Amino acid sequence: MSNSTVVLRAYRDGLHLIIRPHLSITEVEAAIQQEISRMNRSLTGASVQIDLKSPTLKKEEIESLSFKLQETYDLTVRNVEIADEPVAPPIAAAPTTHVISPTTDIRNHQNSEPSRIVPHTIRSGQTEECPQGSLIIYGDVNSGGEVRAGGDIVVLGTLRGKALAGMNGRVSAVIIAMDFEPLHLQIGDYVKNSPVSQEPRGCLKIARIGAEDAITVEKFVKS
Amino acid sequence: MGRVIVVTSGKGGVGKTTSTANLGTALALLDNSVVAVDADVGLRNLDIVMGLESRVVYTSMDVIEKQCELKKALVKDRRVDGLMVLPASQKNNKDDIQPEQMKAICDKLRTMNDFVLVDSPAGIERGFRNASAGADEAIVVTTPDVSAIRDADRIIGLLQNAEIEPINLIINRFSPQLVGNGSMMDQADVLDILNIDLIGVVPEDSGVITSTNRGIPLVYEEGSPSAQAYMRIARRLTGQRIPIPNLENKGLFSNLVNWFTKKR
Repeated sequence: MSNSTVVLRAYRDGLHLIIRPHLSITEVEAAIQQEISRMNRSLTGASVQIDLKSPTLKKEEIESLSFKLQETYDLTVRNVEIADEPVAPPIAAAPTTHVISPTTDIRNHQNSEPSRIVPHTIRSGQTEECPQGSLIIYGDVNSGGEVRAGGDIVVLGTLRGKALAGMNGRVSAVIIAMDFEPLHLQIGDYVKNSPVSQEPRGCLKIARIGAEDAITVEKFVKS
Repeated sequence: MGRVIVVTSGKGGVGKTTSTANLGTALALLDNSVVAVDADVGLRNLDIVMGLESRVVYTSMDVIEKQCELKKALVKDRRVDGLMVLPASQKNNKDDIQPEQMKAICDKLRTMNDFVLVDSPAGIERGFRNASAGADEAIVVTTPDVSAIRDADRIIGLLQNAEIEPINLIINRFSPQLVGNGSMMDQADVLDILNIDLIGVVPEDSGVITSTNRGIPLVYEEGSPSAQAYMRIARRLTGQRIPIPNLENKGLFSNLVNWFTKKR
């Protein structure tokens, strides 16, 4: 099972060490050790980029972390990238492993965004987009149709096409639909192809980034 | 003032021309005056399916180029009163006609007839735009398979954008056997996706090939189930309320099997 607080990933430009928000330096260090010991290949001599999902770690902490990586694992830190915008925690619809910070009031955060209502079915070849807020569809999203939103996507019908929530990289975004038969789901950078839900038809379902660090579709439980 | 109805589908080969020929004939058999317009410029077929290919002299292109009167270009079907075909030019292509020119032809035809059926070419480009330019209603033909349905869905979106209303659906080549053993989508699944009014379901029929080759529309064969389906669709188009028979009902046993195997 993958660790959800710190993840080591290989991208085209090399290894990335992705550190999730709302963590203290001690938590991060413990998680790094766990993640690296999980790897059965030696990482000696490799270079790594640190991706901080929010600027919760202090500059000195990052420096000491880089030093420790070099010392303990022989990993060279080639770059540190910090996401400017603090990532909002996921909605408290169901228990997740994401740490929910008590200081962030999710309701205010979502109310400040404009959301757009599309009062009809999205048919094949049609695209609806709301880059700054959430998208609500009174109908289906059919195969060949596409919906994209900066925030959440709510489909009051069957989702058969392509849905991309959190298009600006917000991994806390969710996709809610009556029925999931999509070709392609994407939340932030996470992609899932034709996910199958075990839940019965006609009951509201929610897709979000879950404990396995992948998109999961489950029954929607109201908070 | 007649009604101009475009028969379209998006995908090719699902039965637009067959449906146009049969609905045109069926409407004429029901004492309506009908013109079937072939909008598939460059790939004309409607004249063959209706068995009138040998009598085509002028085409819609000649009308547009003012080589002949519109009335002269219409080919009359001698088997039934009140049925005419406006053939498409075979030597031009779809870009040689403007949507406004098609609209002008349709508007002229509707003053003289009860129904103008426009047989649209496959695709969503100029050919489709030409065919739908003069239409105030549409019939979308689909077969119960995912690719035809996705294309039909696209076409419905375009028709809705063009404010063509109502849009009715024909499910063609429907096979109760395949639905029974779960390898074909059933009526409810198709309607659930496309979400428009169903005007008829035409069963799969190998007689279509013979009828196309002989140039005799199916509806003249009164015994055939697909001919009856087209006659019912024509009656519904004229405003009669005829229920759509459930072709899926093939006896108690298969119903029971369906009931047990369906999860819903």
